[in-house]
Amino acid sequence: MLHENEARLNITWAGQNGDLPDAVAYDATDADVRQWVTEAVRHGDVPGIAADPAADFQDFVVDRFAANDTRPYNLIQIRPKTPFGAAP
Amino acid sequence: MSRRVTVVGAGALGSHVVQLLRNADVTLHVIDDDRVERKNVLAQFHSAKSVGKSKVQSLSQAMQFMFARKIDGTPHRLRSDNAEQLLGGSALVVDCLDNLESRNVVSTFVREQDIPCLHGALAPDGQFGRVIWDEDFVADGEGGPGAVTCEDGAHLPFIGVVASYIAYAAQRFLEQDRRVGFQVHPAGATPI
Repeated sequence: MLHENEARLNITWAGQNGDLPDAVAYDATDADVRQWVTEAVRHGDVPGIAADPAADFQDFVVDRFAANDTRPYNLIQIRPKTPFGAAP
Repeated sequence: MSRRVTVVGAGALGSHVVQLLRNADVTLHVIDDDRVERKNVLAQFHSAKSVGKSKVQSLSQAMQFMFARKIDGTPHRLRSDNAEQLLGGSALVVDCLDNLESRNVVSTFVREQDIPCLHGALAPDGQFGRVIWDEDFVADGEGGPGAVTCEDGAHLPFIGVVASYIAYAAQRFLEQDRRVGFQVHPAGATPI
């Protein structure tokens, strides 16, 4: 059970997806989020994501979603940029 | 009179979304100013015989021929000065665009008019997609050179998966007035 000021941190890397095992502060800075997930993925600490010593999240986007009726916990997601919906 | 669902963009995501919404009890309206190129046939719901036609015409003919489903089409580029004409009156707008400028036109208009809007977006490497309602949406910048999400058709299966989640989210909204979104990756999808 997460506290009001905590969030689940979900990570997408190289087509894999997983959550950081521990909750994080919902108001953590983007820089902190990037640092935590970089270390976790490089060391193989994220279930569902294979260890990757070259993992680099500097160009990734940090999204935040407050708890709601269907998801009763705050969610932070770090993900690749998604510029495309159609072919040029 | 049936509700109007407007799909903006009839390329990799939009063309598949339209055919997946063919059973919805709505008027489907599609906007796209591009023409079908041969490379598009590899990843989009356009036939080889449609090369050279407008994507809107191609999709309209395919929907009629295969499913006897009529769609309304507008083969023009969405701009701020025609947004009212093209998007006004929609019960739902589905953004499947590929450029930041047009995405911003969509977001600006639907926010001004309080029109529900669902955005679909793909990462350039074809390994990640977003299905997200406008209230949570921030458009990402366009990719750099070499970002060719669907040029060679290698990502077609994943593009189809993301398009399916877009159509599912649209269906849930139309039938149950519920807004569900997803982060989609090859291992599955995470609700948001």
